[in-house]
Amino acid sequence: MIKKQSKHIQALLDTVERSPRLVVWISVFCAMIFLAGYAILASLLTSMEILEFSVKIPWATMIATYIFLVAIGSGLCIINALGSVFGMQRYEMMTRRMAFLSLTTILFGMLCIVLHLGHPERMPIYNAISPNFRSAISWMGMLYSIYMGVVVVELWLLNREDLARRAENSEGLVKKILTLLTLEKLRGTRIGAVLEDSRLPRVVALLAFVSGASALSMLGSVFAHSESRLLWYGPYYPVYFLVSAIFSGYAFLIVVTIVTYRVKNNEIFRGLKAVIFEMAQVLALILAVGFLLIIIRLATGLLDPTSRGPVMLLINGPFSIGFWGFEVGLMSVLPIYVFIWAAEKKSLNGVLTGSIMVLVGTFVMRYQFIVAGQVYPNIPHGLPSYWPTLMEVFVIGGVIAAFLLVYTLGDMFLSLKEEKSPHVT
Amino acid sequence: MNRRRFLQLMAGAPVAAALGTVNVAGADTLRYGMLADSIRCIGCKRCMSACKRWNNLRVERDELITDRDTHLSANNWKIINLRADAKNRAKRGYVQWSCQHCIEPACAGVCPVTAIKKLANGPVVIDEKKCIGCRYCFQACPWKVPQFDFEKRVTRKCHLCYNRTLLNYQKPACVAACPVGALAFDYRHEIILEAHRRVERLKRPSYIMGLAEAGGTDLITILPAEPKDLGLIAAPKKVVNHNLDKIRVTASGILAASVIAGAMYVYAQVTRDRDEEIDDQKAE
Repeated sequence: MIKKQSKHIQALLDTVERSPRLVVWISVFCAMIFLAGYAILASLLTSMEILEFSVKIPWATMIATYIFLVAIGSGLCIINALGSVFGMQRYEMMTRRMAFLSLTTILFGMLCIVLHLGHPERMPIYNAISPNFRSAISWMGMLYSIYMGVVVVELWLLNREDLARRAENSEGLVKKILTLLTLEKLRGTRIGAVLEDSRLPRVVALLAFVSGASALSMLGSVFAHSESRLLWYGPYYPVYFLVSAIFSGYAFLIVVTIVTYRVKNNEIFRGLKAVIFEMAQVLALILAVGFLLIIIRLATGLLDPTSRGPVMLLINGPFSIGFWGFEVGLMSVLPIYVFIWAAEKKSLNGVLTGSIMVLVGTFVMRYQFIVAGQVYPNIPHGLPSYWPTLMEVFVIGGVIAAFLLVYTLGDMFLSLKEEKSPHVT
Repeated sequence: MNRRRFLQLMAGAPVAAALGTVNVAGADTLRYGMLADSIRCIGCKRCMSACKRWNNLRVERDELITDRDTHLSANNWKIINLRADAKNRAKRGYVQWSCQHCIEPACAGVCPVTAIKKLANGPVVIDEKKCIGCRYCFQACPWKVPQFDFEKRVTRKCHLCYNRTLLNYQKPACVAACPVGALAFDYRHEIILEAHRRVERLKRPSYIMGLAEAGGTDLITILPAEPKDLGLIAAPKKVVNHNLDKIRVTASGILAASVIAGAMYVYAQVTRDRDEEIDDQKAE
């Protein structure tokens, strides 16, 4: 007997029928998540050693992926503040996409670190009962938790009207859930008045900016506090993390926006195009600042005899290809030229290529930063070597697939499309 | 104590209490220390064996054979390796390497859940029931000692047998097992005196590690040469105020974030007219 399918399942089936590409897209992600699940289960049943075998380099690709994703999320938070805090209306139209991307990248970045921990279940308990206020990880955890809470409120405020509209058009249980989510019952009460206050979104956005930026600089401090890791130690990395987060956030936003529009066969309207070209110019400027910071890091590292060793590993050691090829070439010098050229010629493909270059370069930079930082100093018997294991790659692939899946679903079910923002009062 | 000193102490007390750096008066005389004499050591590895027995650690094949190189691991809290001076091969000794039990342990300062504590009588101890397995202690440790146990999923290291010494007033398992007195256990100031006595008696240049390294440690090691010549990790000989240093580093990030916020404000103000242009384009 064929049951009468609900309207929503029918709508989903229609979508699938319309675009078989989506089915392939989602199936690939599901397969990757399955592989990651297998790796995690195997690590639980046997030993955690199968995720990474290097004892001397305990923080590896998973931590690099964590920083990569979380820095993008925090960068998006900072860029989002241009519109929602500093009142730039052309950025404000992208605020939904940015807030959603920021939340999901940080969430999945956090998933990376949770899977990397020995006992993740103890983290929330003991971080609440006995936090160490001298520990940067403890602060980072607290600040990112606050940030994620604030962004959820921000997203809810941005989508409240939309939820109300959907609740009106639906029926049954879905209507009940949607009505509950809109907190319709609070209208008319004192709390309801606060929620409808036109200043609230700006206050929430300001809170998100402050907590997001401080959480990110605290993430830099996690490494910069390690006095015994000469490459990480010092006041440089909290600053560089902020700058690198902004440029990776910009690059990520550009790639995701252009790819989403192209995949959905939507045309990018002129206003958005103009913003993208403006973002490319700003990105070129920030990349130049980042490059300047890299030069300062090299100079200070080489001038100080104690930290010359680790810096030489980057310049003229096992990490030199990644440093010169990716960190300097692909992440800094080449994209600056590409962005200036593309913004001049109004070439979206140019901007897209430049942004992808920045993202690839940034990932390699994060990996190098993590791994090279732990090589020196170490117990003698030569420099420890490290290469990601297959299981580690499975887990990272799964996390990225899960992120893309959630973004795809979010783009389908939440209205992330660029439009004039309700922030404007 | 004069008036100025009293006022200084009163002013510093709340800050010091918040940062957890209150030094108990006379703590040095109450604290235990351990001596490891690498010149007297014969490399029998009975200390390693005793450590494994007391702490119920797994024994790997062949690792307890004399002269076989061993590495610190979750099941090896103490290792004995033959090390020779790179400049003069005749200068050599069996160097024991384990947690140095720093007076101001960097690991305890970075553990996000305060699972690592420096006990008042000396040992730096990891609470394995609390450890979340983040391995930050390994990154912060100047000696690279805490090791992650992939099966138990926690970080483990030598705890100076605090569960023997505290409860039964016994020596740590390794010290009790040493057949030649290369290991000794006493109050730290006594241990330092003993180390100086032994070095004087040797009548050849040797090096006492732990007096100033990483701000001083409760494990004092007599080495035949300087640590870096023996191929050991040489922790810097400076007393770092970790808390002040952390505040300094964190402040740089906050300062940079403020500068970035200022730049964003200027960017928003300078390009305000572009918003209108784009609005016009959208309207078209």
